[in-house]
Amino acid sequence: MAPDRPPQLPSKGQQANTKKRKDAPTSSHKGSDASNKRPKTDHRAKQRDARQLSAQTSSKAFKNGELDVDKFVRAREFEMRALEEGMARSKKALTKRAFQQVPKELRRRTASHNVKKVPKRLRERGKREMNEDNTPTVTARRRKPTPHMRLRLETVKKLRALGSKRKAEKEKAKSEKVTVTDPKATAKPIPSGPKQPPTATSIKTRVPRVKKATLARPPVPKAKFRKRQIHKSWLPTHLFHAKRARMTPPSAPLWRFSIPVTPTVKSYRPTHRASHERGAVAWDMSYMSTIGLEGRQDSIIGMLRALGVGEEELRAKRSEKWRQGTRVLETFMYEREAPHQPIAPVIVVWCVAAGDEKKSVELEKRKRKVLLRIHPSAFYQFWEEVLRLAKVAKPEVSVEDLRFEIGSIEITGPGATEALLGALWPTPSSAKEAERGASAGDAQTSKGASTVDPAADKVVIKTWSSLAGLTNPAMLPQNCMIGFDIQDPRLHHPPRTITLPKSDAEQMTLLQSIADWPVDAAQGPPELFDRRARLAASRALPSQKAINRRKGLAPPGQYPELSEKDPRIPTMLYTTAGAPSLTDRKRQAQNASWTVLLPWKCMQPVWYSLMYYPLSTGQQPRFGGLDEKRQLAFEAGQPWFPADFPGTRAGWEWEVSERVKREEEWKRRPKGKRVCWEKVELGGGRVGEVGVGWACDWERLVGGMAKEDSGTGDVEAAAAADGAGEEKMEIWMAEASAGEGAVLAQRPPTGNGNAIAKAANVASEEQAKTSVPRPTAGEDAAPPRKQATGPEITSSTNIAAPGKPPALTQLPATLANAMLESAGTVLPPHIDLSSALLTVRLTLITRGVPQTCARIYRLPSATHNAGLRKQWLALLPSNQPQHKQKGPKNALPRLPKDAPAHLLQRRLAQSLVEPPRAGEDDYPACPGEEDLVGFVTSGNFKLGEGQGTGLGSLLLERVAEGARQYGEKEGRVCIVRNAGNGVGRLARWDVV
Amino acid sequence: MVRIKHRYLLLNILYPDQKTANVRIAGRPGEQDVPYSVQFRQPSSDQLTPQILLRIIRDGVATLFGDYGSGKVSSSLQIKYFSPATSTAIIRISRDHYRLVWAALSFVTRLPKPLDQPCVIQVVRVSGTIKKAEEEAIRRARISIRRAQRAGKGKDVVVAAASGVQAVEGADEDDDFGMMDGIEDHDAPGEAEEDSDEAG
Repeated sequence: MAPDRPPQLPSKGQQANTKKRKDAPTSSHKGSDASNKRPKTDHRAKQRDARQLSAQTSSKAFKNGELDVDKFVRAREFEMRALEEGMARSKKALTKRAFQQVPKELRRRTASHNVKKVPKRLRERGKREMNEDNTPTVTARRRKPTPHMRLRLETVKKLRALGSKRKAEKEKAKSEKVTVTDPKATAKPIPSGPKQPPTATSIKTRVPRVKKATLARPPVPKAKFRKRQIHKSWLPTHLFHAKRARMTPPSAPLWRFSIPVTPTVKSYRPTHRASHERGAVAWDMSYMSTIGLEGRQDSIIGMLRALGVGEEELRAKRSEKWRQGTRVLETFMYEREAPHQPIAPVIVVWCVAAGDEKKSVELEKRKRKVLLRIHPSAFYQFWEEVLRLAKVAKPEVSVEDLRFEIGSIEITGPGATEALLGALWPTPSSAKEAERGASAGDAQTSKGASTVDPAADKVVIKTWSSLAGLTNPAMLPQNCMIGFDIQDPRLHHPPRTITLPKSDAEQMTLLQSIADWPVDAAQGPPELFDRRARLAASRALPSQKAINRRKGLAPPGQYPELSEKDPRIPTMLYTTAGAPSLTDRKRQAQNASWTVLLPWKCMQPVWYSLMYYPLSTGQQPRFGGLDEKRQLAFEAGQPWFPADFPGTRAGWEWEVSERVKREEEWKRRPKGKRVCWEKVELGGGRVGEVGVGWACDWERLVGGMAKEDSGTGDVEAAAAADGAGEEKMEIWMAEASAGEGAVLAQRPPTGNGNAIAKAANVASEEQAKTSVPRPTAGEDAAPPRKQATGPEITSSTNIAAPGKPPALTQLPATLANAMLESAGTVLPPHIDLSSALLTVRLTLITRGVPQTCARIYRLPSATHNAGLRKQWLALLPSNQPQHKQKGPKNALPRLPKDAPAHLLQRRLAQSLVEPPRAGEDDYPACPGEEDLVGFVTSGNFKLGEGQGTGLGSLLLERVAEGARQYGEKEGRVCIVRNAGNGVGRLARWDVV
Repeated sequence: MVRIKHRYLLLNILYPDQKTANVRIAGRPGEQDVPYSVQFRQPSSDQLTPQILLRIIRDGVATLFGDYGSGKVSSSLQIKYFSPATSTAIIRISRDHYRLVWAALSFVTRLPKPLDQPCVIQVVRVSGTIKKAEEEAIRRARISIRRAQRAGKGKDVVVAAASGVQAVEGADEDDDFGMMDGIEDHDAPGEAEEDSDEAG
């Protein structure tokens, strides 16, 4: 570059120093143009230079033409150096640009070549490279807008002008009014909660009463984003995720939210590593629905009992702490009415009773608050149930929909606690105290808030901050809860790595505090339960501008001072270990995670602080989407709601939507490249997939076998009937849209899987369109919407998920285990044995990886098909002669090439006794459809164990007898066959 | 996209005739002061340039294989490295025709006119990447240094040992290469097929 610049310099000098006429404009322009154009670097020449190897001439190496050892060695050394250097040089000259060398997670999609986007250590090089090959860089600010963009910008400008004009007029009108009333009241026209001291002159505003028992509306988004949230709402961290993750498509939001599905960077293995070995994975779980209950403790307990919470939780001494409010409970809830359909797993959190109430009121009669958290796919069903129960509860229990008021973050992995400690700074109680003192005047208005004992609060905060160094939240008391207020995280942004305990003594104190867990005694009622505290925190969040100003004023390297006006964000944290599992507690302990509950509006700053926290082990916490959530649940061997619970309504809807997706995928492939379902060889001469190939065909398993006995060609028939059945379908759909629930409850007349799936899709879309209240931006007429919500919600409950066998239900693990152990166990009368499913975890014994939709068979019966049963049992490793083997799984070890003859002979003999392998002629055939017991709902290769595992559901009726008869060893062995594949694999199932 | 595949031949040039040697053996004439291993690998003349080497190969291929051979070889033949001081060279040739070049090299007995020396060209390594050829050259240089030192030790020859040489000392002690061994082509298509046949 240096030789290019000099021509410009003299002219510049002239301009600066003398007032002489500048060079003729044309010539100077020409000159500058020529010099601006950089010579194109010859990459080939550069590469050739880098690859050139230097060599020594003989005359130089051997002076005077003499050969001796010294010179000989020196010549060789020179050669070695030259070659080594050449190798290094040519490696460096690989045509790789700086931005191609950033680690995978730093690669960005847009303008990644821009030097401003490469990490600092590569920036110099990147700058040089960009100079060298004349890469144009455009900053968004200076970009010439496209014609379309220009139009939009002009419109925006006009609208802004109009808006500001209107605003000015409004201000003017207001300032005229001010003369009449007290200035203090006008400064804050909207009463910001109870903290404002009432002055004599100001008009006391009535605190608006919250309408209970109505569905919450999503917060009105900014005008800029309003159009995009008509049919769905955004998570509070939407902007973060939309840049970095694949979201649900705008036309098909999931559960009326726009939810991140999976990060755009490759993340299957990194997620596994971050959650198990190093790092942390966090999710914005704000889409989880929250319902608040408030009422007398005994009536709330009555409600919970009616929802199917076990008696041991509600009464026993063991769960005393949960009722007290320092633990959370995750439990499955059921409908109240007779079939007691399972709804979803729900997390129940009690609010700790305030100190003075503890003494004054009798235990059962004191007023308590409860939070219920449930998956959004089952929210409406659950909401209906809760409302119905609350109506009949005596004394009354008020129900509140807190969906868009409380958001949550879930974080798991060894670095989770550390990241949370770095991001959540508790508000010191002294500041709180001061606040209290200021607002002492209106104690009666803020009766809920002022009951926290500062000393106890201090204990809670101290315990929280003593958790530094904790790598697994499962070490804490199970399902423990801790609640305190935090400061605005933006004041401490970017977060810094916290100091972790290093000495043994510090470790001991950590262990001590975990063992004592003083939070149980000291925890006051978390402010999060208090609506006013939530609102106050949301409203008091200062603008980013104000934050920046304060940070600018702070001395370098220090955080700004805490001020009185800072918001105190009420926060609640609890640990969960997934769904409660009875079979093994070890697994459960592995995957504990923290859940942070926050006011909806405060989610974003906390999320950013968490995401940018530099972990002590390097990197930052990752974020996950729905797929990662599911992946980790799968790796922990826990079922994921809704996909792994086809017996619930939400699970069924999920299955139906997945069916449609899989069918679409299948149809998109060319005929030669997709599975031809009717030609799948199942072994034993049977041809054709059982049921619909792309579905977990529960209808067929539960009741449809008699109807579709041929089993083979029905898929193709379905495809063929697609056209013919169109009319019928239309009629049926018309009925569906007419909302006749009775018609929907039974299966459509066409009765084939394809049509069902399609119809289901249409109907569910229909349902989505009609049933849910739509928060439209422009709509201001509240009454019509209110009307709309009520009846339509009920209609949604009437429309049972299309096609679902009405009696299909999911059994709790305890009940299922009892049934499997003894024949004497009687099912509750409302459960139909022939359609009760139990969720199981499958572990493949030999080889193979189960996929979703894989069919599960029991072993053939010993009476009818003893031969096949024997063949399958022979494959069990426990039934085989033991030999130490190092080779591939379930195969003989590989012999060396030059193995002696006797070894070869022995190998031959061994291979004759070796169990048959898949694909060989004597590999046992898959059992028939009479032995079909269930389907795999999620299956994959498990990274932790290095083998295929899966989660599925089995029909209790078909496995109970075998399990009882053959016991642990043989009774729980099944055969798993992937859809569209004829090879069965041995697996073992455990109830989860 | 199909990649153009090459072979890299690492070769040594030996000068069997002492009378036409390019260097004098140090020490008194007649007395064998310099070890044989040093004498065996003599430097080439400065006049032997890569261009001449290229000409030797071209001519050789043309004589042995005629127009067909020279036509096949000419497009891809390239001298990647030639060091007269150690008489080592690396030649690049397309994978399909490296045998023609190898044959031509084997038949060379005399360097052409301006030099006019009897010589033997020994192909010691055929590899698919230049890196492996370079590594092999380094390995061989190390071994010959070690040998020269070992032989020279008795005669109190002060040897300035490079640091790199020390480090490898004893690493491949019994790695002895004669005239015939050390020629192996792991990447040759024929051999690969044979391998897979055996495995199957």
